[in-house]
Amino acid sequence: MTTYHELDPVEAKIAARDVSVFYGDQQALDRVSIDIGTEYVTAFIGPSGCGKSTLLRTFNRMNDTIANARVEGEVRLDGVDIYRSDLDVVQLRARVGMVFQKPNPFPKSIYENVAYGPRIHGLAVNRTELDAIVERSLRRAGLWDEVKDRLSDSGTALSGGQQQRLCIARAIAVDPEVILMDEPCSALDPIATARIEELIGELKGRYAIVIVTHSMQQAARVSQRTAFFHLGRMVEYGKTSDIFTNPREERTKDYITGRYG
Amino acid sequence: MTERASTDAGAADGDRAARRLKARYAAERRFRALGLAAIACSVAALLFLLVTMIGNGMSGFRRTELRVPVDFARAGLRVEPARLGAIDALPALRQAGLSQVLGQAAAASLGPDGAAELDPDAWREVARAIIADPGLLQRRVVLSLPASDNLAAAQRGDGQRRLRPLATRLAAQGKLVRAWDPGFLTRADSTHAQSVGIWGALKGSLLTMAVTMALAFPIGVLAAVYLEEYAPRNRWTDLIEVSISNLAAVPSIIFGLLGLALFVGLFPSWRSAPLIGGMTLALMTMPVIVISARAAIGAVPPSARDAALAIGASRIQVVFHHVLPLAMPGIMTGTIIGMARALGETAPLLMIGMRAFVATPPAGLTAPASVLPVQIFLWSDEIDRGFVERTSATIIVLLLFLLAMNGLAIHLRNRFEKRL
Ligand SMILES: Nc1ncnc2c1ncn2[C@@H]1O[C@H](COP(=O)(O)OP(=O)(O)OP(=O)(O)O)[C@@H](O)[C@H]1O
Ligand SMILES: [Mg+2]
Repeated sequence: MTTYHELDPVEAKIAARDVSVFYGDQQALDRVSIDIGTEYVTAFIGPSGCGKSTLLRTFNRMNDTIANARVEGEVRLDGVDIYRSDLDVVQLRARVGMVFQKPNPFPKSIYENVAYGPRIHGLAVNRTELDAIVERSLRRAGLWDEVKDRLSDSGTALSGGQQQRLCIARAIAVDPEVILMDEPCSALDPIATARIEELIGELKGRYAIVIVTHSMQQAARVSQRTAFFHLGRMVEYGKTSDIFTNPREERTKDYITGRYG
Repeated sequence: MTERASTDAGAADGDRAARRLKARYAAERRFRALGLAAIACSVAALLFLLVTMIGNGMSGFRRTELRVPVDFARAGLRVEPARLGAIDALPALRQAGLSQVLGQAAAASLGPDGAAELDPDAWREVARAIIADPGLLQRRVVLSLPASDNLAAAQRGDGQRRLRPLATRLAAQGKLVRAWDPGFLTRADSTHAQSVGIWGALKGSLLTMAVTMALAFPIGVLAAVYLEEYAPRNRWTDLIEVSISNLAAVPSIIFGLLGLALFVGLFPSWRSAPLIGGMTLALMTMPVIVISARAAIGAVPPSARDAALAIGASRIQVVFHHVLPLAMPGIMTGTIIGMARALGETAPLLMIGMRAFVATPPAGLTAPASVLPVQIFLWSDEIDRGFVERTSATIIVLLLFLLAMNGLAIHLRNRFEKRL
C-alpha cells in the first residue's frame, strides 16, 4: 500500500514496522513502515491531520503522555524495540531528542535551558564541563554569539527564532542520536527559517534527523528522503529528488504541485 | 445613478460606524466608572475600619501608671543571685518579700490610700525587671507600676466616686500618669486591664500558624500534585474531589469539634496547646490549599511539561523542576487566603480549649496558650473600660500581623513570578 522508490540499502537508526496509532476508537496512523538513517535528513510531508506528528511521537514515546493513545506495531532503535515493557523512557528520550512546532523554552535562564538536560542525565561532573557543554550546544545551534553576554536572561525573553534555536540547543545538549523536529519553522520569519535550515544542514550526519514540514520548498532544501502521508497512511517514500520530480502516486503529485486542498 | 446611490450608502455607513464608535466609547467609559466606583467602595470600607480601629485602639497602647521611687539597696531584699537565673525566680522574689517592699515604698510616696490602689500584679513586672537586670537590687529607682483598674477609671472621670479626689491629687503631683505601655507587647494575659499584655496570645498565634503552615502546605500541595499528575481519572478521584470541595465549605466550628474528638482525645495533656490548635486549623486550611494548588497545577501549559519530558526528565523531575515552580504563585495565593482565614479563626480554637486563662507566654508547642482572636473574644467580654481599649489595641496588632503575613506571602510570590 506504500510506494517505495528504490534506494541504496542503509543501516536504519530507527526502524518502524507496521505502526498503527489509535486515539480512543479513532485510528490516526495505519500500518506505517519506514527506516530512518543517520546519513540523511528525512522529511515528513502531507496535509494537516494526516498523522505526521503522531508518527514522530511514536519514535520517542511522547504518545505515552496522551491518555487515550494506543500504539501497535514495532519501533526499533538500533534494533531494540522501544515499546518493550522493561525499556526506560527517560533513557530513550535522552537518545531521541525533540523540537516542537511552537518554541517552548523553559521559563528559566538561557544557560539553565541548555544545562538542564545534561544536569539531570549527569553528563557533566562539574561546572566547567557543564559550561563547556552549554557553549558547545549554543554554538552548534548558531545562537552563541547572540546570547553569550546574557546567559542569565530568561529564555522566554528571546525572539521566536532565537527561542527555537535555543530549543534545538537544548535538544542537542544531551547528545542525542536522533532529533525529531515537528514543524520547527512554522512560527518563524524567513530569515530565522533560513538560519535553522542551515543549522539542520550542519547537524546532518552527526544525528539522524526527521523534520515535519508544510513547506515543500523547505522539504526540498533540507531533506534527502521524503515521506508523503495522507489520511494516516504513508503513501510514498523515496529520495527527496525523486519524490519531487518524479512522484509515482497521483495523490503525491497533487499535493506537491499544490492542487491538493 | 448607481454611483450616486453607492456614495449615499457609503455616507450612511460612515454615519452608522461613527455612532457605533461613540456607543462603544461610552460603554467603555461607563465600565471604567463602575470599576472605579467599586474600588472606591472597598477602599472606603477599609479606611473606615482602619480609622475607627486606630482611633479606638491607640489608647489601648497606653496605661495608667503610678510612679513609685524604690530604694532596693536599703529595702534589704535578699535573694541569692543563682536563684534569679533559675526557673522559679519569680516565686523566689515573692517569697523574699518583693510585694511588701513595693507596698511600703508606695505607701511612703503615695500615702496608704494610694498604695492600696497599686495593681496587685505589679510585683510581677518588677520581678521580671530584676531577673533581667539583677543589678537593680543595688540601686534606687523610680518604678512605673500599673495602677488598679479602679484608679484608672477614676482618673478617666468614671468608676468609683470616692477615688476621684485621690486620682486628682496624685495626677497633680505627677505620680499618676497615662503613659505609653511598650510592655503591652511583651506581657501575657492578666485579670487587670492595666497589667495585661498580648505577647502570650501573639506568641500563641505565631506557634499555631507555624504548625498550621508546616502541616497544611506540604500535605495540601502533595495531595494536589498527586491528584493532578498521578491519579487516574475515575469514580474514586471524582469522589475525592467532591469531598475536598465540601471540606472547604464546612463551618469552622465543626473542625473544632473534630479537633476536640480526635486530637484532644489522642493527646489529652496537650489540650489548649498551639500544636493541637495548629493541627485543627490545618484540617481547615488544607482543602483551600488543595483546591487552589490543583487549579494552579492544571493551568501549567502542557508545552512546559512536554518540553521537559522530551529531553528525558522523569515524572518527578517534571513536577518539581517545572510544574511546581510555574504553579507556585497560584498555590501561594490560595495559601495566603487559607492562612489568613486560619489566623482570624476563633470558634474551632474555643472548642479545643484555647480559651483558658494563660498568664504566661507559651514556652513551646505543647504548652497551654491563647491566640490573638480568642484573646480579643475573651477581653471583649470584660466589663472594665480598660479592657475595651486593650481589645481594640489587640485588633490592631492582629491586623498588623495579618498584613505582615500577607505582605511576606506576596513578596515571596513576586519573587517566584520574577524568576519565570
Ligand atoms: N491528542 C489527540 N487526541 C485525539 N486525537 C488526536 C490527538 N492528536 C491528534 N489526533 C488526531 O490524529 C490525527 C493525526 O493528527 P496529527 O497531529 O498526527 O496530524 P499532523 O499530520 O501532525 O497534522 P498537522 O500538519 O496539522 O500538524 C488527526 O485526525 C487528529 O485529529
Ligand atoms: Mg502536526
